[in-house]
Amino acid sequence: MSDNEKRQFEEEEFTAQFNGQVLRRIFALTKPHWPMMVGFLASIILVSLLDGYFTFLSKRMIDEGIIPGDRAQLFRLAGQYGLLIIAQSALAFTFIYLVGALSQRVRYDLRKKLFDHLQELSFSYFDRTPVGWIMSRVASDTERVGDLVSWSFLDATWAVINVGASFYFMMKINWQLALIVITVLPVLVVVAIYFKKLILVEYRKVRKLNSRITGAFNENITGVRVTKAFNREEKSLEAFADLSHDRYRAGFRAGWLSALFLPVVQIISAAAIGVVVVVGGLQVETGALTIGGIQAFISYIAFMLWPVQDLARVYASTQQAIASAERIFSLLDTPPEVQDRPNAVEVETLRLDIEFDHVDFWYEKDKPVLQDFTLTVRQGETIALVGPTGGGKSTIVNLLCRFYEPKTGVIRFGGRDYITIKLSSIHSRLGIVLQSPHLFSGTIRENIRYGRLDATDEEIEEAAKLAGAHEFIIELEHGYDTEVGEGGVLLSTGQKQLISLARAVLADPDIFIMDEATSSVDTVTENLIQRGMEEMMRGRTSFVIAHRLSTIRRASRILFIENGRIVEQGTHFELLRQRGRYYQLYTHQFRRELERQSALLGGRAA
Amino acid sequence: MTSNHPIIDFDLKETLAENRLVGLWQLLRGYYLRFIIANIAVAVSAFSRTATYVLIGFYVDKVLGTGATWSSLLLVALAFGGLALVQGGFTFISGYLASQTAEGIAQRLRNYLYDHIQRLSFSYHDRTKTGELIQRATSDVEAVRQFYQDQAMSIGRILLLFIINFAAIWRIEYRLALISVVAVPALVAVSYVFFKRIRHQYERYQEQDAIVSTRLQENLTGVRVVKAFARQDYEMDQFDRVSWMKYKMGRKLILWHSLFWPSSDILAGGQMLTGYVVGGLMAMNGVITIGDYLAYIGMLIYIIWPMRHLGRVIVQTSTALVSYHRMATIIREDKEPVNAGDYLPDGNVAGDIRFDRVSFAYEGEKEDESAPVLHDISFYVRPGQTVALLGASGSGKTTLVNLLPRFYDYTEGRILLDGVELTRYPRRYLRSQMAFVEQEPFLFSRTIRENIAYGVDREVSEEEIIEAAKAAAIHDSIMRFPEGYDTLVGERGVTLSGGQKQRIAIARAILRDPRILILDDATSSVDAETEEIIQQALFRLMEGRTSFIIAHRFQTVMHADLILVLDHGRIAQMGSHEELIQQPGFYRNIYELQSKIDDALVAEAA
Repeated sequence: MSDNEKRQFEEEEFTAQFNGQVLRRIFALTKPHWPMMVGFLASIILVSLLDGYFTFLSKRMIDEGIIPGDRAQLFRLAGQYGLLIIAQSALAFTFIYLVGALSQRVRYDLRKKLFDHLQELSFSYFDRTPVGWIMSRVASDTERVGDLVSWSFLDATWAVINVGASFYFMMKINWQLALIVITVLPVLVVVAIYFKKLILVEYRKVRKLNSRITGAFNENITGVRVTKAFNREEKSLEAFADLSHDRYRAGFRAGWLSALFLPVVQIISAAAIGVVVVVGGLQVETGALTIGGIQAFISYIAFMLWPVQDLARVYASTQQAIASAERIFSLLDTPPEVQDRPNAVEVETLRLDIEFDHVDFWYEKDKPVLQDFTLTVRQGETIALVGPTGGGKSTIVNLLCRFYEPKTGVIRFGGRDYITIKLSSIHSRLGIVLQSPHLFSGTIRENIRYGRLDATDEEIEEAAKLAGAHEFIIELEHGYDTEVGEGGVLLSTGQKQLISLARAVLADPDIFIMDEATSSVDTVTENLIQRGMEEMMRGRTSFVIAHRLSTIRRASRILFIENGRIVEQGTHFELLRQRGRYYQLYTHQFRRELERQSALLGGRAA
Repeated sequence: MTSNHPIIDFDLKETLAENRLVGLWQLLRGYYLRFIIANIAVAVSAFSRTATYVLIGFYVDKVLGTGATWSSLLLVALAFGGLALVQGGFTFISGYLASQTAEGIAQRLRNYLYDHIQRLSFSYHDRTKTGELIQRATSDVEAVRQFYQDQAMSIGRILLLFIINFAAIWRIEYRLALISVVAVPALVAVSYVFFKRIRHQYERYQEQDAIVSTRLQENLTGVRVVKAFARQDYEMDQFDRVSWMKYKMGRKLILWHSLFWPSSDILAGGQMLTGYVVGGLMAMNGVITIGDYLAYIGMLIYIIWPMRHLGRVIVQTSTALVSYHRMATIIREDKEPVNAGDYLPDGNVAGDIRFDRVSFAYEGEKEDESAPVLHDISFYVRPGQTVALLGASGSGKTTLVNLLPRFYDYTEGRILLDGVELTRYPRRYLRSQMAFVEQEPFLFSRTIRENIAYGVDREVSEEEIIEAAKAAAIHDSIMRFPEGYDTLVGERGVTLSGGQKQRIAIARAILRDPRILILDDATSSVDAETEEIIQQALFRLMEGRTSFIIAHRFQTVMHADLILVLDHGRIAQMGSHEELIQQPGFYRNIYELQSKIDDALVAEAA
């Protein structure tokens, strides 16, 4: 991974400034839901205006009702006040519901877009992108962006309108005083943003440390046997205590900075109130200001705290949300490296000869994996790939499946360059069983059915029988309805391999591929599968990457792959007679395997 | 963390209490003073806030309209500023101390749990899920921290604000005070009911969120399967289903919010308005002054609005109590007493070991499985001898060697080490005399250097580490990593193969230089050539130490002084290689089988 990519995977860095283009793209996400947007904006504006007006109303109650002793006017204004409370509550219901729903909706839309796009992306993308990174994009970044166009936009609108309305009413009461008071606003905003930024930095530290602490606990628990065996409890705790102390410091700093924020803003406001007390007091003497007016000014200033705080919060969270949006958009803008060409055709069958014609391939430039690789496979052949790890066996299979495409050279099915065929045409005719089989949470039945979605229960059992999985499945308490757990954790690796074999059997593919697929099945069970696998391979072109002697021996051709080349090829006996690399592998590696099996099984199977 | 200060200053077990609130109070030990001062600071701050409104009353009644001068107005303004300083200052003090208390207690809890978890017994770890323990140590600790930082302070603040302002209004006019709190019980009740409901809804939302995450993660880790079966459309449908469900639950959640806030607005707003009108009428009738009225409408805010949050705080507190309880159940567990034992030799043990009719059963096994895992095991090893254990999987080999460092204590019979019963030795001492190499060794996500040096307490020189690595035939592989011995192991560094891990674990054992060596299938993952090299190193390492090796190949087993063949937890055969091949049985079967493998291989290749 290059430094650049590493940096890309660093969490929560917000380098983003207020990038107008990104902002426009973010707000474009709400376009399909514009009635919600219009609805909440209209209601929050009214709510915000009313918040300003209420203070003005209570000023009028004092000046027009209480001081002159005008009961009727007091009741009239109170009646108005009461009606407006009810109206504002109705508006509040509207905006909370609409803004919340919009936030959820934008999150949902983004999740869908991301997920759908991820299905199109190529293997190379998943090779270089950690799953955890993608998970955060879909989980937290969608939330931040969803909240930006809803809650943050709402808060900002409310704050601006509220400040505006307050200022309007203050001007109405006494414009000279209003102009003096409003000068404190920029000071408040600057101080508030400064504080929020400081606090945000600490919270980011806290989050990072939290995830390190979780990691430390994970290691502490999973490695507890080693710690105990080596008496390392004290040392281990000492190392953790440092981390824990860093977390304490960051948390405490974030805590007291937050505790400082409100008092500082309040004290600045108090200075403004002091001005009102003095200047307003003098004006009361001259009759330019009423008692209710003084009261209203004090209320407006005390209240100004909240819009300012909101603005600071929005400012801080918007920066984060823009960074989130940039990451989301970069994912959405990543083109799939393997995709259908224009005019790609459907094919009826892949029961065709396969040809690798001078294929070069590399994952990273300057590190060739396959060089000038040429191979012709007749329809129906079983090809076994053997050789050292990293020699290129899996790459050959990945190219064959068109998970990747050759960098140079051509792969042909029945003489046709396979990039002219539709991807779905190819993939739907492959049956693949992998070394570390992946199951989805759900029942065993659902997992086998993944091979062919419209299969009946009978067909599923038939496939399981063929794969040698039926026996252990019916011994389980719930048989085919047994839940396999997340990623299949409730089953052993061997059982998972059998189920994934059944899944491939059910798919009835034209090309069958096994990547060390039965490495964790014991010999007894493997014998069970043999029959099924033979059945599978009959009439189908098969590629098998295997360590198992029994599997390899049956192949019509064995390719010994090393450094991206075919070093030896031929049948089992031909290769043994050559006394070359295959012979070495055979006498060293396979012997150990057999010996180990014999001891573990106590001589039962041989 | 200062070095002269112990990381864990006292046993948190002492603070546990049946009543959870009592437990939380006792957990404050060492922070009582800070916590109390924090609450007093809240009171002072609330008091000066109320004083501000009293000052407004004084200002309106006694200063305004009496020919107020600059100087007298300035005095009032200074008083306002002074009160704001007191109020802000004490708000800060309370936040500062609350934060320090909360973070300090959280740090203590984390350190304690970290240490406690690594000192719990093997059988505890066997029956407890890793994820669950991590949850307790992270999320639950966070919930308790939040309690001290927020909820504990909020309850204090809300109640103090209410009491002080209520008392202040009562001083103005007691009937006004009574009228002002009519709606308060209803407000608290409504907020409590709503937040309970919202919490429930929120939990369901979170659960759905977890489902969405799982679905996504499975899709990403299973991307090969998805593509191999061309199931992209199916996956999109599946994801959309759970994602849409989350959206709908999010809307439901927001619906509750949008019902709560407006209805509590009406209650609180109605109460305020009632106060305005009644207070206004009293002012008109001369029962109170205009100044009193203005002070009153300021104070009124603080006996009504905070009450809206009381319900939320109560609900959050109940969540914190649940977290506390879950944490307490871990703290209540007894540690493995590593230092218990009445026999502590000065130097090292000689390594003379006698098993005398030893049986063992795991505790808490189900009734039908109550048959012990080991039965009636008797044998004797002299210092420096090697014992080989052979047997089918599940025959009890690993269980047997786990008894030596007292990872588990035997349930019947006796084990004598140097003639002294094993249970009389402190576990810590026993473990200091041994080293383990497991089949799947656990390495920590630190540098390779640190992993090799893990077993020794003293400073280790670079030469020693390299020597150990060379003896374990891993030095060359290490040097091929870009950062050599400083290469990080695990997720953030390199992924090591099984064979590389085993060799690092062997180097770790070599450096530890133990009296008793236990090798549990230690070379199963290395290839044939490497195994030969390591074998030599291991033979050298075993010289002069009592060794137990679990292995499956005769090359390894046949040189042992004593071979135990285990079958279903019993010794089926025992003796030297020469003795065992003379008698019919498991050993000879396997021996013949493994020799035949050789013959067969040679024959086939001929």
